[in-house]
Amino acid sequence: MLPEKSPEQHLADFEARVARGDKVEPGDWMPEDYRKNLIRMMGQHAHSEIVGQLPEGKWIPYAPGFRRKLTLVAKVQDEAGHGQLLYRAAETLGKSREDMMEELLSGKAKYANVFNYPTPTWADVGVIGWLVDTAAVINQSMLAQSSYGPYGRAMKRICYEEAFHIKQGYDIVATLAKGTPEQRKMAQDSINRWWYPTLMMSGPPDTLSVHSQQALKWRIKTKSNEQVRQEFVDLIVPQIRALGFEVPDKDCRYDEKSGHYQYTQPDWDELKRVINGDGPCNKERLDSRRKTHEDGRWVREALAAKGKKASQPVA
Amino acid sequence: MAIELPAGVSQDAVAEFVLSLADDELILGHRDSEWTGFAPILEEDIAFSNIAQDEMGHSLVWFTLLEQMGEKNADAMAFERLWQDFRCCRFVQYPKGDFAYAVVRQYLFDAAENVRLQALMKSSAKPLRDISERIIREENYHLMHSQGLVERLGDATDESHKKMQHAVDIAFPQALGLFEKLNTEPELVSNKVFPGNDVLCAEWMKEVVPVLTKSTLHLPVAERDGGYVANVKSDVGGRQGEHTDHLRRLIEDMQSVYRTVPGGKW
Amino acid sequence: MDTQWETYEVFHQSRKGEPHEYVGSVHAPDPQMALQMARDQFARRLRCVSLWVVRSKDVTMTDYQDENFFAQVTDKSYRDPKAFEAPEKDGH
Repeated sequence: MLPEKSPEQHLADFEARVARGDKVEPGDWMPEDYRKNLIRMMGQHAHSEIVGQLPEGKWIPYAPGFRRKLTLVAKVQDEAGHGQLLYRAAETLGKSREDMMEELLSGKAKYANVFNYPTPTWADVGVIGWLVDTAAVINQSMLAQSSYGPYGRAMKRICYEEAFHIKQGYDIVATLAKGTPEQRKMAQDSINRWWYPTLMMSGPPDTLSVHSQQALKWRIKTKSNEQVRQEFVDLIVPQIRALGFEVPDKDCRYDEKSGHYQYTQPDWDELKRVINGDGPCNKERLDSRRKTHEDGRWVREALAAKGKKASQPVA
Repeated sequence: MAIELPAGVSQDAVAEFVLSLADDELILGHRDSEWTGFAPILEEDIAFSNIAQDEMGHSLVWFTLLEQMGEKNADAMAFERLWQDFRCCRFVQYPKGDFAYAVVRQYLFDAAENVRLQALMKSSAKPLRDISERIIREENYHLMHSQGLVERLGDATDESHKKMQHAVDIAFPQALGLFEKLNTEPELVSNKVFPGNDVLCAEWMKEVVPVLTKSTLHLPVAERDGGYVANVKSDVGGRQGEHTDHLRRLIEDMQSVYRTVPGGKW
Repeated sequence: MDTQWETYEVFHQSRKGEPHEYVGSVHAPDPQMALQMARDQFARRLRCVSLWVVRSKDVTMTDYQDENFFAQVTDKSYRDPKAFEAPEKDGH
């Protein structure tokens, strides 16, 4: 047996390993705050996927045409799949999916603010896939490099599928762009509504975020919120304009000197309000998840009981 | 346009038959997709979404055959046709219900679909043979999935048994409507396009009655001549366009966006 | 009561001749349903010819913190083909 390491020595070793890019696996020694921060992040991320099924899922019965209908079912299905992967990654740190689910349903756990906004038109399906998922992928590609192995592995697969999400979303908006004046207007209205909620997705400036500082230090994430947001703006603004739509920010312009687009910061107080439960659809989203969870309880219990019976050894 | 058919069989007769297959799959696929985001557990959410895509995909295959027979394209058939002109059975029209109903309906449908496709694999009409050979591969998996759930939930707990029995009571008479006679049925049967709905129904009962009984679920049937006969009235009308109001609402929803720009691209 | 079921680890083979690779896990009430759920979650896009599922609790693991388990402290390069000179092509 080697002599026990002191907690200080453990922490120093851990930070040195993470700093040189080594990955952390379940069962490795890790600071308690690293574990907590990861469970919180992966849990929130998983919750965002399954709550995120709802705003778009609403349009499945109305999707215009076979291809759109099939694609939308596949897309919303992927979100269930991503939730499944992320809950599992979080479970490697010792918290059960059941517990995480309870925290979501009780309102204790958070999820992405963006899914608390309504989807009143078909164009929203396109704009979510295009804008929201582009922002998500920038964040997720960064998280694929996360120091925590299971998180990075889940992210790699998710990013692959998100590429499909972005393309189908862009395809919807690009089709509307070539359509009737009403279709174009529907798309522009939707871009206007989703612009700021999407900018908020990468989170407040890191100076305002406690969790963010720590996550950067331990390489749970490798880019600041501001970097992620700037990457998104630089990528999406030319795309929006190329389709003949406007960016709903008069001050959005390309800055030659920095090589980046300048943009107006979103209203961070609004983010705080929405995250804390006061968004346009918070109640509707959580009520829906709660009802699904309750309605399905008998099925989960019955199949669990049946599985137990079947695995009992024959006497 | 025409497809290759045996002598003596009219395109119209085959078209009536194929339309009933296409509409059944489309409407059930639509109902299945109502579970996306709402299933009892994530893994089952993913499974039901797969089945929804498969069923709609199969309907697309049948609509493509209809287009080859001179009908409008699949999108026009699904998103522009009047609800009265659909030929799906009433069984697939009913609202999604609870998960027990969804499982039972899916099982009864999957079993019927397997019986139907196996018969069509021996059809005198080559296009029907070809398509059936293709899509039965996915339908086999559906049957494994839905039958597995029936067998587990039938007697897992008192609560699950009660819910499943209730669902069977509702769904069984409706499911018999899958086998409603078509107007052109004599022509199709005498030319061996398919063996006829009575024959399919009898085979289907031989399949589902033992499975449900073994799962402790009771059916209103009696044994006769080595087979079964149903002691309930079958919920027919769909093949004649006598639909439930549920279908009207479903079609209104399904076509609502598409129709706002007639002939437009989405 | 935990109603999210047990977990199963999933191994996926993309084609015959290739090894089964670990791809993730599913929650399932029994092994047969675990296979079905693994199919829908992990083989709905990937090409697949075979799946294995194993109850997570049946997997025995080494401990990451026991680094000695894999320690190699003396020179064992003699096991490596590169440690020896290869014969010339003409056999000398």
